[in-house]
Amino acid sequence: MTDRVPGIDPKLMEILVCPVSKGPLRYDAERQELVSERAGLAYPIRDGIPIMLPDEARRLDEEGAQP
Amino acid sequence: MENKTHESIVGDQFGSQAGAYLASPVHARGEDLDRLARLVGTRPAARALDLGCGGGHVAFRLAPAVGQVVACDLSPDMLAAVAAEAVRRGLGNVATEQGLAERLPFADARFDVVASRHSAHHWHDLEAGLREARRVLRPDGLAVFMDVVAPESVLGDTFFQTIEMLRDPSHVRDYSVREWRRAVESAGFAVRSVACHRVWLDFASWTARMRTPEDHVRAIRSLQGRAAAEIAEYFAIEADGSFTIDTMTLEAVPTPH
Repeated sequence: MTDRVPGIDPKLMEILVCPVSKGPLRYDAERQELVSERAGLAYPIRDGIPIMLPDEARRLDEEGAQP
Repeated sequence: MENKTHESIVGDQFGSQAGAYLASPVHARGEDLDRLARLVGTRPAARALDLGCGGGHVAFRLAPAVGQVVACDLSPDMLAAVAAEAVRRGLGNVATEQGLAERLPFADARFDVVASRHSAHHWHDLEAGLREARRVLRPDGLAVFMDVVAPESVLGDTFFQTIEMLRDPSHVRDYSVREWRRAVESAGFAVRSVACHRVWLDFASWTARMRTPEDHVRAIRSLQGRAAAEIAEYFAIEADGSFTIDTMTLEAVPTPH
């Protein structure tokens, strides 16, 4: 891999919404996730690429469970 | 046997072949990309979406002409290859995002340009993908859809979908220009122009890119050999199986709600 710093492009963050609810996302830097409270889903960010697929998201009602 | 979902088939088909798509001359060059560049022109403040970016050729072409490009695809390996290639080319304004065309993770009216090339024939639901493209595009924005198109004749259509499915199990449908027009219009666009380009496909690399199994290659060759004269003529089928297809570049603008 490159020496890219994990995280998310702030310009991308400005336009991203939850693909299910189309609601806002909160960036969780520690877990490297984009959290959609409305849909109850947390989308992972891997190597700086947000994975905006409901099937790949962690369900918030299973807090602590491994994705 | 255990059957997989369409999304995972698409992911498998393209994941391990990211390099082949990045390097493929059929994908890296083309009159359609030249036409796209002319249609978009230079828009330093614009944000563009490469919808179903694959090897990222639309993103790389548009990046120098616009402010920001977002490359969206279902395959994480393709996106990693696109991100690395953007860095290699010194294109600092290309962001990558993994998503489904039918369920885009972007707020309404955020893009000045939405372009999609050689992607829609993999979508589950063309109209849903086009409605999403319309939703994320600004009312004064520009949409450019480029894809392989099926012949208008029913026989030619069936022949083409069959060999496409044999070659690539993630194939859904190549639409005809007439079907494209109807779908684009019903998704809330007005068609401004349609240009068609013939593209020659080398049989060996066409099948190698998809790692088509040998029995499917034989089935395609058999169908080509038995094709009706008008089919052989339309596709200009050659002795080694190489043939010529039509691709389309459709320019559209949003119609007012």
